[in-house]
Parts: sequence; C-alpha cells; structure tokens
Amino acid sequence: MIRFSNVSLLYPHSTKTILEDLSFEIEEGEMVLVMGETGSGKSSLLKLINGLVPHHTGGILAGDISVDGISTRTVKPGALAHLVGIVGQNPLNGFVTDIVEEELAFSMEALNVAPDVMRKRVEEVLDILGLTALRNRSIATLSGGEQQRVAIGTALVMHPKVLVLDEPTSALDPIAAEEVLSVLHRLVHDLSVTVIIAEHRLERVIQFVDRIIYIEGNGETSIGPAEEILQRAELVPPIIRLARALHLNEFRTSVRDVRRQTEEFRLRDYPVTPTRSHSSIPAIVVSEISHSYGRKSALRKASTTIGRGEIVAIMGRNGAGKSTLLHSIVGLHAPDSGSITVNGGDPLALKGGDRRRAIGYVPQEPSDLLFAQSVGAECAQADGDNQLDPGSTWALLNSLVPHISLHTHPNDLSEGQRLALVLSIVLAANPEVLVLDEPTRGLDYRAKNLFTLALKEYATQSNRPVLLATHDVELVAELADRVLFLAEGEIVADGPTLDVLLSSPAFAPQVAKIMSPKPWLTVSDVVTAIGAAE
Amino acid sequence: MRKPLHPLTLWIASILLAIGVVALDSAIMALAIVGTVAVFVYLRRDGSPWNMSFALSLRIGGTILAIRTVVGILIGVPIPGRALFTIPILHLPSWMPGIRIGGAVTIERLSSSLHEGVIIAAMIALFGAATSLTSPHRLLRVTPAFIYEIGITLVIATSIFPQLATSIRRIRRAQKLRGMEKAKLGAIALPLLEESLARSLQLAASMDARGYGISRKRSRYRPQQWLFRDSALIAGITVICLAMVVQ
Repeated sequence: MIRFSNVSLLYPHSTKTILEDLSFEIEEGEMVLVMGETGSGKSSLLKLINGLVPHHTGGILAGDISVDGISTRTVKPGALAHLVGIVGQNPLNGFVTDIVEEELAFSMEALNVAPDVMRKRVEEVLDILGLTALRNRSIATLSGGEQQRVAIGTALVMHPKVLVLDEPTSALDPIAAEEVLSVLHRLVHDLSVTVIIAEHRLERVIQFVDRIIYIEGNGETSIGPAEEILQRAELVPPIIRLARALHLNEFRTSVRDVRRQTEEFRLRDYPVTPTRSHSSIPAIVVSEISHSYGRKSALRKASTTIGRGEIVAIMGRNGAGKSTLLHSIVGLHAPDSGSITVNGGDPLALKGGDRRRAIGYVPQEPSDLLFAQSVGAECAQADGDNQLDPGSTWALLNSLVPHISLHTHPNDLSEGQRLALVLSIVLAANPEVLVLDEPTRGLDYRAKNLFTLALKEYATQSNRPVLLATHDVELVAELADRVLFLAEGEIVADGPTLDVLLSSPAFAPQVAKIMSPKPWLTVSDVVTAIGAAE
Repeated sequence: MRKPLHPLTLWIASILLAIGVVALDSAIMALAIVGTVAVFVYLRRDGSPWNMSFALSLRIGGTILAIRTVVGILIGVPIPGRALFTIPILHLPSWMPGIRIGGAVTIERLSSSLHEGVIIAAMIALFGAATSLTSPHRLLRVTPAFIYEIGITLVIATSIFPQLATSIRRIRRAQKLRGMEKAKLGAIALPLLEESLARSLQLAASMDARGYGISRKRSRYRPQQWLFRDSALIAGITVICLAMVVQ
C-alpha cells in the first residue's frame, strides 16, 4: 500500500539529515507505529506519506514514495485526499468550519462529491465514531476526546485506504485514549484500513500495533515486528522494561501474554513494604471551594490538604475540573465560595516577586512564559528577577538537560528541553510550592525520566509540595505519593497512589495490570519486592 | 438545539437597522435599538467563541465614543450656547484658519459630539451583533461559488481575531504567575506571533491535505434553507427601517 524506496529528507539551512536512505513497504490493513525521541523526525515521516512534506513545508527529498501506486512526487497532497487521511497533532488547529457535521463534509465539498453521497457518508461516519449526538455542536465546545474523534471522522468520510495520525492520544485522558484507539483497531480489522501512528506513550498503543518504524535519531531507522524492535530499542514502555528486569526470554506487548509469562512471580508471597509516610505539616489547604463558569459548575465543594514534601497528582477525565482546581490554588481566580491558603497566605493577594517565591507555576503551554530571543537571555532575565548571581539559572538548566546552547532560540528547543528551561526559570525563584499543569505532553521516556528525577529532588531536598495535573498514568505511578481523583468537579478519591490507581482498571498502569492483584505499580516496585523476597 | 436563522437574515437585518439609525439620527433611538439587539443576542447565544464579538464591538464603540467626545471638546468650530467651562485657546499659525483648539465648551458642543459618537458606536454594535450570532464561517456557506475563494481567505483572516484574544488572555495569565505584573508588548507579542504562525500553517496544511482547491467545482452539503421566519423577520425589520428613514 505504501512504499518508501531509498528516501532521504533534508531541510534547507539545517545540517542534520532527518531521514537517510529509508526503504520499507507497508501492506494493506497493517497498523504501524512510528517511534523515536522528540524532534527525531516522526512528524516529517508521517507527512511524507501524503506529500505535505515537501510540497507544503519545503525540504529536499531524495528517493521515491508511492501510495497505492501513486507517487507523491507527481501530485499535490490534496489529490491524495481520497486515499490518505491525515490527523495532525493538534486537531483543533486543522478544523476549517465550526460545526461537527459541516466539518465532516468539508473535504467532500471541496472535491465536489454529490450531495446525496455526502449525506450518506456523513451519517455513516457519525455512526462509526459515535458522534451522532454531537452532530450540531460547535467544535470549539467539544472535549478533547470528542475533537479527536471528529478529526478522525473528517479523514474517514473520504473512505481513505491509509489513515495517518500524529500523537492522537497525547491530549486525552486514559479512557478517551482507549476509545480512540479501539476505533482505530476496529478500522484496521473490519475495514482493512492501513493505519500509521506516531505516539510517545507507547504503553497506550503498543498492544495494537503490528510493526514499528524506529527512528533512532542518528540517521538510522529500523523497521520490524513490534517485539523485535522493542527488544533492542532504548525508549520502551513499562511492559518491556518489566520483561527485561525479570529476564523473560520472550518480549510480548499485550498484558494478557505477559501475565501468562509471569504467573510464577505472582504465586509467591512477598513481605509487605511499609508505605512512606509524610510530615503532616500542611502547605496547601483547600476548603470547600466551588467555582463555576457561567451556568456550568466546574468545582463543587472540593476540600483537601497537601502536606510539605508531598507530590500530589490530580487526575480525572478531560473537563473534570483539574485545571480549575489548579488555577484556584495558584490564585488565578477567586473561587465562588470556600477558601484556599498556601503556606498560610492567600494566593490571590500575591504580587510580583512574592508570587514567584511563594508559588512556582508551569502552565499547560510552557512556551507562554518564554519571550526572550535566546536561552541565554531567558536565563539572564530569571537571574535578574530573582537577584541571583549571573549564571545560576543556566547552571540549574544544565543540571536538568546538559548540552543546550545559550544562543538557541527557545522555539528551536525540543519539547523536553523547553519544559526543562521553563522549569529552571520557575525553580530559580526557589518557590515554596510547585504547581504544574499537564507537564509531560509530547515528552519521550528519556525526557520524562529526567523530569521525574528533578521533581522528586525538589520535593525531598527542601521538603516542599509538588502538585501536578496529568493524564499520564505511568508518570503518576513513578512520581506521585498521593492522587486526587476528580469527576464532575468533585473529589471522588483522595489517597495514596497505590490505592487510587489500583482501584480503577482504566487508570491502572501497565505493570499493575500485569501483576494484579499484587500491589505493584512500577518496574522498580516489582524488582524491589522480588529482591527483598530472595 | 434551536434551529439557527439563515445567516444572511441576520446580516441583512443588521444592515437595515444600521441604515435606519443613520437616517433617523437620534441618539436615544440608536441606544434603544442597540439595547433591543443586545437582548436578542443574549437570548440566541449558542456558546461559540464568536458570541464574544458583540461585547467586543460594544467596547470598541465605547472607545470611539470617548475619543470622539474628547476630540470634540478640544477641537472644532465654536457652537454658540450656554458655556459649561472654558479651556485656554491654543494659538495656531495663520495658515490653519477655521480650526480652534480649546476655548469655551458649550452644552450644545458637548451634546453634538456625544450624539455623533453614539451613532457610530451603535453601527459598530449592530455589526458586532450580526457576527456574534452567525460566524463568518456560516456566512461563507451561503456565498455564491464565484466569491468562495475570496470568502475563505476572509474567513481565515477574521477567524484569527477571537483566537488571538483567547491566546493573549492565556499568555498574560501565565506571565502574571511568573510575577510579571506589568504587561510588556514584546513579552506578549512573541509567544502570540509564534502561536498564530504555527496555527495558520497547520490550518493551511490541513486544508491542503483535505483536497481544498483540487476540484474546480464545489458541491454543497445540506444547503441552509431560507424559511418563512427569515422572510418574516426581514419584512418586519424593513418596515422599521422605512419608518426610521421616512419618519
């Protein structure tokens, strides 16, 4: 269906070759995962398939790519619209109209499809994706998962043979992600659609994929069956790390298979490890706060206390009120009722330098905080703001992610580097409390690891609380001491990470699913427990 | 969900009302019409981001009114009447005759400035109301095919503004939390520019990938029907407009 022959890609004014001499073939009805570090060229590879690269972005392409026998050299991307459907990283930016139904019809209108055919196909896609109830809704008012499904729908109405998706689940909560992935799985199996998908959170997609294209970053690219590639890859999901740690002789990607392989480990009894308890000195006290936007109430009488040195994760579905709770705590808006104190003070009253020292906040779009022309200028600004010796912020950044050039423009950093820069700027003020909104979007496993270590160090070294909202179950398992689970603006669960994550199958990390009913969340939990028993 | 009115209905209605307001030239009537329209906009809002454009148009109108009044007080031909207060006259060179800066401010002069300001603000508010109820995107769907190309360019250009407003608010909020109390132009413009550029590139890529501009002809999906109530509304507004023009 898709054939790459000796493809190399180079962007002008760049010394790095994105892809070099890449050849492979993808069959009809295959589901292929593209993986690699952030900035390694995954998106470029995906856009090569329908010719957006280089027709739309520029760049020098050698070799030939053909889809269903049509070479992308000879036609514009639009001429492949009936063959290749592409769903971008941020679907909201790709929507042209504002009503779901009209958005679905857009491509067909552009290609002059007869009105009765259009009507039939729109109904069909609404049914397949479960969007019927949303057909007249304004797209801007939909949740992230719904928008993602609409975006897939806009591609499906053309009855494409190939569907290309760039990080389709990165903005979604685990349940919405599962919904989207099961739709894809069905398309592959029922309609023989070929699906190419790029994703960082391998634990979400790995069980569905047949083959993997692994872009290693040094120009090397390999392609092969999932098990084979994961055997030697560096960025691997917990399920593979577990297999490596337990020295299993075969690497499997489905929870069911690995469960069978590891049965012997679950049969034994293990000494119960005492859970780490925290100082009960409260740092953030939230009591009975409610907040509403217009008629819609986002928080209902939420109360909680976060102690010093605690790392607390706020989880819940898209639109459950996570961001509203964070915004109330950092003092962005006054709650309608109830009160919040951060280290005894009112967050709303904080101004300027006092605010920097009291609460460090990393927003959902870290780049909102950046405005200087270079990394060096950003660091100097932070030094100046906080009366630090010149170079302090830079040193902090270097300890998080080494080898960033001072002259780089913040836009040219990879997602992980940018987050590290923002984190160092925020930490330069030495804040009493650290609050992060959805920090790991678009980070690969390596960057996430570094980030986890940095947060743990901050929390333990100075005994300060960290509060983060996230959809990333694996991150929570590695990092958090406690989880607050929000639903419809109410805190429905508040307890140690282990208890909360194990009690809900949708939010359980991979290791927990494999090792259930043993109380282990991460690979290191398993290794320590088994090590202690031996 | 209530069925929306035909997009053209709202635009025609607001143009007719604007003509009426200008022809009648009465500030009180203009305010009354804007008030009625405001109630209508409030009742028919559907929660889309475009709904904010009415409030925005009121603010623009208010700003124009304020500037118009200040300028009217400072500059202009003296209108005789009861003097409220006097500002010192600035002497201008002889080659600028007929213009006076400063001088006596009479009630008549003040009220005529206010009056003109209100008429301009009312017209802006009427167009703001039309945009807030029918996004230009929806209007585009009823335009004839031959201006479609121009139409879509306009839609993309205009759709940037509400998005810009949302982005500015988000960036300011984040920066306040970094302890930057005062808004600096550069500090907002840079992230904003980056985001808008990225967004428009993505939109262009998406339209490209979805076959936009490949076929010369273009079909219509469920064209919007012109219903009886559209005709009724237009008829009613036309009568009001005629009444205002003829008086």
